[in-house]
Amino acid sequence: MIGKSIAFAAAIAIAAPAFATATATVGQPAPDFIAADANGKPVKLSGFRGKTVVLEWNNPGCPFVQKHYDSGNMQKTQAAAKAQGVVWLTINSGAPGKQGYMTGAEAQAFEKKEKAEATAYLLDPKGIVGKLYDAKTTPHMYVIDPAGTLVYAGAIDDKPTADQADITTARNHVLAALADVKAGKPVAVATSKPYGCSVKYAG
Amino acid sequence: MIAFGCRLMTMLGLMLIGLAPASAQGLHIAPRLVAESAEPAAGGATTLALVMKPAPTWHGYWKNPGDSGIETLIDWKLPDGVTAGELAYPVPHTLIVAGLMNYVYEGEYAQLIQLKLPAGLAPGTTLPIRGTAKWLACTKEICVPEKADIAIDLKVGDGRADAALAGDFARWRAAMPKPLGSEGRFAVKGETFRLAVPIPAKLDVADVYFFPLTDGAIDYAAPQAVSRNGDNLIVEVKAGGGAAGLNEVDGVLRIGRDNGLALSAKPGDVPAAGAPVTASSEGAGIGAGGVRTALLALGGAILGGLLLNVMPCVFPILSLKALSLARAGGDGRGARHEALAYAAGAVATCLALGGVLLALRAGGEAAGWAFQLQDPRVILLLLLLTAAIALNLAGLFELPAVAGGQALAAKGGTHGAFWTGALAAFIATPCTGPFMGAALGAALVLPAAAALAVFAGLGLGLALPFLALGFVPALRRRLPRPGPWMDRLRRILAIPMFLTALGLAWLLGQQAGVDGMTLGLSAALLTGFGLWWVGRRQATGRAAAWWPLAPAAAAALALMVAVPREPAVAAASQASEGALGAQPFSEEKLAALQAEGRPVFVYFTADWCLSCKVNEKVAIDRAEVAKAFADANVAVLVGDWTKGDAAIGRFLNQQGRSGVPLYLFYRPGRPVETLPQVLTPGTLTALTA
Repeated sequence: MIGKSIAFAAAIAIAAPAFATATATVGQPAPDFIAADANGKPVKLSGFRGKTVVLEWNNPGCPFVQKHYDSGNMQKTQAAAKAQGVVWLTINSGAPGKQGYMTGAEAQAFEKKEKAEATAYLLDPKGIVGKLYDAKTTPHMYVIDPAGTLVYAGAIDDKPTADQADITTARNHVLAALADVKAGKPVAVATSKPYGCSVKYAG
Repeated sequence: MIAFGCRLMTMLGLMLIGLAPASAQGLHIAPRLVAESAEPAAGGATTLALVMKPAPTWHGYWKNPGDSGIETLIDWKLPDGVTAGELAYPVPHTLIVAGLMNYVYEGEYAQLIQLKLPAGLAPGTTLPIRGTAKWLACTKEICVPEKADIAIDLKVGDGRADAALAGDFARWRAAMPKPLGSEGRFAVKGETFRLAVPIPAKLDVADVYFFPLTDGAIDYAAPQAVSRNGDNLIVEVKAGGGAAGLNEVDGVLRIGRDNGLALSAKPGDVPAAGAPVTASSEGAGIGAGGVRTALLALGGAILGGLLLNVMPCVFPILSLKALSLARAGGDGRGARHEALAYAAGAVATCLALGGVLLALRAGGEAAGWAFQLQDPRVILLLLLLTAAIALNLAGLFELPAVAGGQALAAKGGTHGAFWTGALAAFIATPCTGPFMGAALGAALVLPAAAALAVFAGLGLGLALPFLALGFVPALRRRLPRPGPWMDRLRRILAIPMFLTALGLAWLLGQQAGVDGMTLGLSAALLTGFGLWWVGRRQATGRAAAWWPLAPAAAAALALMVAVPREPAVAAASQASEGALGAQPFSEEKLAALQAEGRPVFVYFTADWCLSCKVNEKVAIDRAEVAKAFADANVAVLVGDWTKGDAAIGRFLNQQGRSGVPLYLFYRPGRPVETLPQVLTPGTLTALTA
């Protein structure tokens, strides 16, 4: 276990310089990162090359996140992605002491309670991955195509409210982007203004 | 059963209506819907205000909330034919939380809605205005989406504005951004978004910040560099992701505290950056530049505090205290303790004063500190304080701290020293307030922590000489021996203090006219009587010597309330009066001049309106125009909308305009003629031909 942690720390240290190069831009290669999942296992983005990847910024205390989890909309989107063989990474960039911060065990419990279908729940308490992707809100969604290009960044849908009733009439930007990627088409709506609570970064 | 169900529904409905205000108490931002006219006219319009009151530490959001947040949405249920316009937002504030920018309101704010009524409604018809408002309430840590039913019942009538709300609506309107009228230009160069806004070079601006309505134009949290190049104000900031593809960028340019201009910019040439405008404290909190500004302000504050020591009101206290320290003689340890206590007292008082000001600022107090000093009541308060201090120095009565009575400041040792320091700082403030307004204003635009540091610096500077005395025995030995000369010095120091009071009286006269000045001087006289009486009682050694001051203070307070708030009109009209001998605009004045059968030329202007100023220079304030108008007996009225005067705003709306410039010419017995927005002397002289 200790050996693993050291290896992980070393991996982060090696990967860190890559973080400084560029922040995520739609149409550009998605910057690579390594982060620990809820079990403490390192997860590397470039390890999923060849598969489509969805990044979801999460804060269980945020009412906008609750809108999509309590209604089952997020889980439904996750399941639809999973059915297409898409990798789904839920990321928590909340700093310790801030709203929504979770330890690995708490994150596991959250995933279980919500019946989430994510591939992994990543912990980013220092906000390194969050800042790398310029994640601003929870939820804030990103889609990366199999070639590793960032093809969508923005809101989960086009109804910026905390009202569950709005979900039925909203356009789910993530599902639409996944469909476009699957069909080999350029993503029709490649960016949108994310909505929700601000990411609770340290500082 | 059905009947029961109906009754139940009705009851539930009634309960819901009855509960609406109660449920508002669970909200972190309490909404309230009010109408400018409770009896709007059929076929007319009235303005509704959705007044939002955030609980302490909570904030609501602007239309573009910044990096996160949500705008206010209202789902209206209106009577047939009645329509509600879009929500108009006041100029927001910036709030950076963990590197993310929020455009917010931290104090009470009002969003205005234009409500239009169809023609043909019978007078007396009740109009139930209902809606559901949704907004986001946040602290720096958490966000709560909130929702409330809003309701007001209006009755079709004559459209008269509710007099009780006139002041509120005037204030709310003044907080709205004023439409600039002319177009801005923007360019994206590399990673920088550059914006040029036409603003007269002569206009003073402060605290400039561009709030974009168009998403993607700028990186919200990035610091904005503001400079001026002639009649252009240039804002440079890191571009947002979508900036390159934009055909238009809308937004609000803040040019002073709660003072903004709504503008729209098109792609175009942006001139080079010019002279920088005082660092705006916004953007990434205290960035590299911000730290420098804060350090500079802190250094300035320490120096300023040092200077306070030679101010006539502080010097006597300090010198007497210093001499008492010298008396302590060789006890170096005691002297050091006293010096530290004195410094702590001075810093604590300064921090407390700063805290009060910051609290006012956080409370959304529309007026900044500098503005407070333009309030005649504040000047009057300072006048009374300086007069009282002068009378004290002259020996009319004794302050415990200076004379050695039984109060806190005179308790020997560290306690006494602490309270003397506190007193010195407190007394120093009124003496310097009017002169330090600008510096304090600068401190207040800094983030709270930096602003407090500046206030602490002021206190530290004030305590420096005393600290030096406490820690350097050599200095102590050089102090002159206490003696009767100290009393003489005190009497002499009363003279500059009285001069300060005289200066304040003059200021008061400038701001509140001769009546205001007389009221102020009467209050000073009353205070003087009270203090004289106190002195008499002190001399005879009676206990509770201070009570005679109470009636005097009460009377002075009453006078303070009575001082006219409106500054003398002369100052305002002087500024805008040109060669034409224009008089300030009012609808009554216009009607009166028309009744006299005179042709009237009315123009509306504002100090921030470049095209207005150009027109005035090249076309209006011209000798040939003045002559033509004089020959034809044309009266000239000028409406100055610099501060967003509500009456002028209403008049502009009636003319179908949202802003300035506007040029109108009234010929007797003919409909009003609206002149083009670009004037030449020929256009104006031709009017009288």
